[in-house]
Amino acid sequence: MWFVNLLQWLHDTPFSITMRESVWAEPIVETIHVLTLTLFIGFAFLLDLRLLGVCLRRRPVSQVLHKLNPFLFVGFTIMVVTGVLLFSGDPPSFYSTIFFKIKMVFLVLAGLNVLVFNATIGRKVAQWDMAPETPRAAKVAAVISIVLWVAIVAAGRAIAYDLPPPS
Amino acid sequence: MWLRTLVFHFCQWCNNSSWGHGVRDSVWLFPFVEIFHLLALGVLGGTILLLNLRLVGFGFRDEPLPELTREVRPWMLGSLAVMFVSGFLLFSTEAVKMYGNIGFRYKMFFLFFALVYTFTIHRKLTTSDETRVSPVWRWLAAFVSLALWAGVGLGGRSIGYV
Repeated sequence: MWFVNLLQWLHDTPFSITMRESVWAEPIVETIHVLTLTLFIGFAFLLDLRLLGVCLRRRPVSQVLHKLNPFLFVGFTIMVVTGVLLFSGDPPSFYSTIFFKIKMVFLVLAGLNVLVFNATIGRKVAQWDMAPETPRAAKVAAVISIVLWVAIVAAGRAIAYDLPPPS
Repeated sequence: MWLRTLVFHFCQWCNNSSWGHGVRDSVWLFPFVEIFHLLALGVLGGTILLLNLRLVGFGFRDEPLPELTREVRPWMLGSLAVMFVSGFLLFSTEAVKMYGNIGFRYKMFFLFFALVYTFTIHRKLTTSDETRVSPVWRWLAAFVSLALWAGVGLGGRSIGYV
């Protein structure tokens, strides 16, 4: 299998070895990954709650999107960079756990959810910017987002319990 | 010292409690509670970040700060409650061990001051017209808030390593 070979090759790169054997690298990167949850999950939920109409209700949706987007972008970037670094420490082990695969699938779905939102109801945000009740489609997108991110956090936590013991 | 004895007995009591046993003896309950702790961390940290960013003039500037505070406060307090309950359950599974864990001690130290600060000075600042306070003080106030909460987070992260 070319993919397993690729992971094995990654595993044997000097970078991966350093990541794995350094005393500090993994705890530091993992700490950044976990604490950036505040920036990314916190702000993503605030946005979803606005779409549901239960938080920041007095702000136009477009403004909440506009203000939170830069932070979400920074948060997501940090999450991806630190996540890739953690993965690079031992790619075959990560790939061996089902929770890692679940997390990756859900991440793709969360991305699709954003794309669909932006292409449909999100594009017409001007029409319901201050509506007392947000449209059903926006609420559905928000619920899907919350469910997916909860699942992604849960799967991420489960990975650590399911990794094979270091050899 | 009587306080030390009291705290130690409290830890023993938690350790031997039904919920301490329950979470400890279950295979999936500990990770399950942990996930709630992590998700509430996201929301709590998110609301605190948002208020501090607004305090120093980033984002939602055209809305008075007290209004923003009023809107996000229920979520902040709600997630704080989830943090407490889930944290207490996690603590109870190995409370006696936590008593001697230096990371946990740091976490509680920072938590105490973070809570006191959040519900006094920080609360006062975020529920009144912040423009009456000079930017220097606002930056300092936001920095202290983030530093105290970062202490709680880093202390928590270190528990498993020390």
